[in-house]
Amino acid sequence: MDNLVSLVGVESFSREGIKKAVYQAIDLIGLNPSGVESVIIKPNLRWYWDYSTGETTDPRIVSAIIDYVCERWNVSADIKIVESDASAMRTKYAFKILGYEKLAREKSVELFNLSEDEVYEKEVTIGRKKFMLHLPSIVFNSDLFINVPKLKVGPYAGGQCLHMTCALKNLFGCIATHGKVKFHPYLQEIIVAVNKLIKPHLTVVDGVVGLGKHPVKLGLVMAGKDNLAVESIAARMMGYNPSKIPIIQLAYQEGVGDFKDVKLVCDNIDQIKKRFPKKSRLFFELSWKTQFLLLHLYTKVSKDAVPTVLENV
Amino acid sequence: MTIRTGIIGLGKAGMLRLRISRVMDNVDVLAVADSSKRRLQVAKRLGVKELYNNYNELLRSADVDAVIISLPNFLHKESIVAATEADKHIFIEKPLARTSVECKEVMRLAEKRGIKLMAGHNYRFLGCVKKVKSIYEKGMIGDVELSTFELVYDGFSPTLEPTPMPEWYFDVEKIGGWLLDAGYHLIDLFQWFFGDAEVLYAHLGSRFHLPYEDHAIIVLGSKNGTAKGVLNVGWFSKLTFPQFNFRVILHGTAGFISTDQFVPRNLYIHAAKEGIKNVLRRALGIEIRPLTYTYFYSSYAEELRHFFTCIENDSTPIVTAQDAFRVIRTIEEIYSMHNGS
Repeated sequence: MDNLVSLVGVESFSREGIKKAVYQAIDLIGLNPSGVESVIIKPNLRWYWDYSTGETTDPRIVSAIIDYVCERWNVSADIKIVESDASAMRTKYAFKILGYEKLAREKSVELFNLSEDEVYEKEVTIGRKKFMLHLPSIVFNSDLFINVPKLKVGPYAGGQCLHMTCALKNLFGCIATHGKVKFHPYLQEIIVAVNKLIKPHLTVVDGVVGLGKHPVKLGLVMAGKDNLAVESIAARMMGYNPSKIPIIQLAYQEGVGDFKDVKLVCDNIDQIKKRFPKKSRLFFELSWKTQFLLLHLYTKVSKDAVPTVLENV
Repeated sequence: MTIRTGIIGLGKAGMLRLRISRVMDNVDVLAVADSSKRRLQVAKRLGVKELYNNYNELLRSADVDAVIISLPNFLHKESIVAATEADKHIFIEKPLARTSVECKEVMRLAEKRGIKLMAGHNYRFLGCVKKVKSIYEKGMIGDVELSTFELVYDGFSPTLEPTPMPEWYFDVEKIGGWLLDAGYHLIDLFQWFFGDAEVLYAHLGSRFHLPYEDHAIIVLGSKNGTAKGVLNVGWFSKLTFPQFNFRVILHGTAGFISTDQFVPRNLYIHAAKEGIKNVLRRALGIEIRPLTYTYFYSSYAEELRHFFTCIENDSTPIVTAQDAFRVIRTIEEIYSMHNGS
């Protein structure tokens, strides 16, 4: 069976335009699950940034997915929108601030904090390293897991800068642990570890607003069944060669999925690629590292204070 | 003269005050109080000797001359009352208190005991604001008819530091509202420039579905003159340090002026220049000027320096409790106008 990834451009940025694109994107990959009683949808909610910044999943995408599930698979499915607490974010507030509480009321679906679920302790080996992860039981006990990441470049975190934050990274948010910042030193391995343990049945990428050097209205929706395949196409959208991205390579080696034999079903990929505001990762990472190095050096010599925002960097 | 200081509350603001105070020459941060053991340990590592988990114990220390109160808004009144009764000079993060009634109460007490009570109105101490105020007061742009005051940033997300915003930020009873935060500064600046204000128009909105406003457009008019000001304030916009999105624009009969003209065009070059100056000061044994390399955060240091100087010289702070009261009264007027409509 073909490893399909679809790319659909929105006709308009309205709720209806986005819904149509989501429907087309899912239709094109030919997903026909049976016995769909329980569904979890995992958007990417990063801190409390509005979807228009390109940092968080647009609730209209999730709204369209809910409609799709109800219309095509099971009108009475038990649907939950899930997210976990992060070091600097509390899910209950993110749901409220980012419009998910309102969406849940409109669609009569449940909001679920993964950090409050019963957890399974799972051991996983990546390369030669062993990791123990606390993962919420719900992600293993639902009939359908839909991953809804953003199309965006990676932030500077833990002294490194990931190429991108898309399908693979969004599952990092399934770890129930609050202080996930402790994983930053081995971020790539941990992301691959989670992806080894959790396999979404469907990934729908929100590229309505993409985030590169700055946010941009891309109007793109992507869908696929293989999380790694979707990640690799997203990488191409952002101007990267997927074969040269370490996390994609590592995920491939660890059997997370396939990115070498992917069939694209799409509008004109080059047109969309041209519109993505590429960001020089090397420059970005170097500039942060240099700034922090100079800051540490300066405060050591001058004994000057640091503002709270720079305290722990 | 060394001013022996205590810091009450070691959240983001309190920690910043601690870090600033400990690099000032004539200030000795003798004691801190916080309910968090972890934060007290951080203070201990920074050289603070007396650690309390209850601020009343800190206030009982006879060695402490002045306190910096960096507690959440809802604890301002009770902590000011306690510090006043202990005869400590007080620097309090704005707002002075949540209501004008609370403000009056603490003002009366402070006056009766003869202590200095200054609220943190750090925007008055920004270099670009001081410059604009000075040019306006010299009459170089004539009489101001129209003005704009803007402050829009990211109220909920830490830009770099991976710690969550405190829970009380999301509780309308405890935080009061967004006008008490960013809006407060703009109202204070308008009144500092043009005197008492009346509210001509107020629109409060919430993009983030919270039970209080996260943005507002306010139009103020000067009661003593003809100046009008549009205040755009918001808490919804993603900003990355060292960016800051603040400006004052005055349109006068003889010209116009904007704070943007006095903010360094390149904040990184500014940081490098100021950093070198402080390293030289340190090498020469002169007191450094805290946080000047960040441009914006230096205003927090400047206002604290002013507070300590007022104690040393027994002079009146340029931010009086009356100023802080005026802001709260105007905010109440805005809320009542908004609720009424």
